Amino acid sequence: MLDTILAILHMCIFPGGVFALAVALFFKALDRRIAARVQRRVGPPLIQPVLDIAKLLTKETLIPRTAHRAAFIMAPVLAFTGMAVCAAFIPVPGVYSGLTNMGDLLVILYLLPIPAIALMLGAAASSNTFSSVGFSREMLMTLAYELPLIMILLAVAMLVGKETGVGAEFSLANILSYQAANGSLGFHPVMLPAFVAYMIFLPGTMGVAPFDIPEAEQEVLEGPLLEYGGPLLALYQIGSALKTFVVLGLGVALFFPGTLCDFWPVNLVWFVVKCFLLMLVTLTVVKAATGRFRIDQAFWFYIKFPAVLALISLVLVWWL
Amino acid sequence: MSNLLNKLSVRSPWLFRINAGSCNGCDVELATTALIPRFDVERFGCRYCGSPRHADVVLITGPVTLKMRDKVLKLWDEIPNPKVTVAVGICPISGGVFRDSYSLAEPLDHLIPVDVNVPGCPPRPQAILEGVVLAKKIWMRKLGIEEG
Repeated sequence: MLDTILAILHMCIFPGGVFALAVALFFKALDRRIAARVQRRVGPPLIQPVLDIAKLLTKETLIPRTAHRAAFIMAPVLAFTGMAVCAAFIPVPGVYSGLTNMGDLLVILYLLPIPAIALMLGAAASSNTFSSVGFSREMLMTLAYELPLIMILLAVAMLVGKETGVGAEFSLANILSYQAANGSLGFHPVMLPAFVAYMIFLPGTMGVAPFDIPEAEQEVLEGPLLEYGGPLLALYQIGSALKTFVVLGLGVALFFPGTLCDFWPVNLVWFVVKCFLLMLVTLTVVKAATGRFRIDQAFWFYIKFPAVLALISLVLVWWL
Repeated sequence: MSNLLNKLSVRSPWLFRINAGSCNGCDVELATTALIPRFDVERFGCRYCGSPRHADVVLITGPVTLKMRDKVLKLWDEIPNPKVTVAVGICPISGGVFRDSYSLAEPLDHLIPVDVNVPGCPPRPQAILEGVVLAKKIWMRKLGIEEG
């Protein structure tokens, strides 16, 4: 009973829910601000993501007459709850060791595509031609970036499992304690290709330029999000912000979970700083500097580069 | 609470563009000059959105032609309330150089309530941005908030 309450608190307050949302919205503001500075302009105020969500909450909700009402309303809720739960599985090194002690890497692997699936569900339910185009693009992108993700996670699990002698280690807590004892995996030469692959995976899964193909506003009028407005769109935005926290936190936990000292607030700040640096390198600068790929180019890009890099790591782990 | 939300909401106007039969001059000044990073419309909290469902401020260019009239009305109805309409260029006001043409329906403000007019053929990008800022003020007035 106590465990259940504690788990729910972890999903609602720390590190899921409130904490993740605060960090993610702050990151989003910094992201837009820094992207603006890269393009030599001022950019929006730091409170802008909160203002956007407040604005969306005051707007009227319109649901198309031809849409499937239940699926249309459930899809953003699914995206939001899926990511709130997933954020509770992200360990904060030195502060919080994750929701469970076994197999949580697999749970994260299953929870991560939920926003994409919810987006596809909403697009299919909204009965709009442009949404359908966005739906097919979103599906193709998901197929493209899930393959390298699976191989990256497998490479990490196999490496840690091999060293500790259990075959494959799918517990994030054990992966963290292994790294605390033997050094971060990001500095491990065998894992370097996997880390690069993870960095390429990030803009694809977050749907930012150059991989914002499903939501391209000039081509498919925001694709799956076309028919959404008001509070439902706000839920999608919150879900996507939580996803930023999840994927960045997972990257830090897998590759650079080092702590500074035993004092937990310092570790918490250090974790947020590391997430921010990862975002700066993989999302913000790339977004500000690139245009958009075509869907076939993006698909083959993911099959050619991150998948092959992750495969190199996997094979090296297997043979060495 | 709702008053606070309303007060915050006007600081995030998302822009949507309708071309009601424009000669493309205003569209060049609007979409490819005023809304690009150089003039940085994002500093007002604006974002250019592709879907009418996300829009708060509607920018309409061009005289309303007979072929476009029903489409403009339909698209305008798709935009959730509260919304502010900005007419960009001289054409939505009077027809501009196309005045008295056989193919024009009627001035825009006969069809839908226009909140801000940005005259010019085409207007300068700075004037369009001023129109967007004015639209924010009108949005506040529509929500019943005093300017502060």
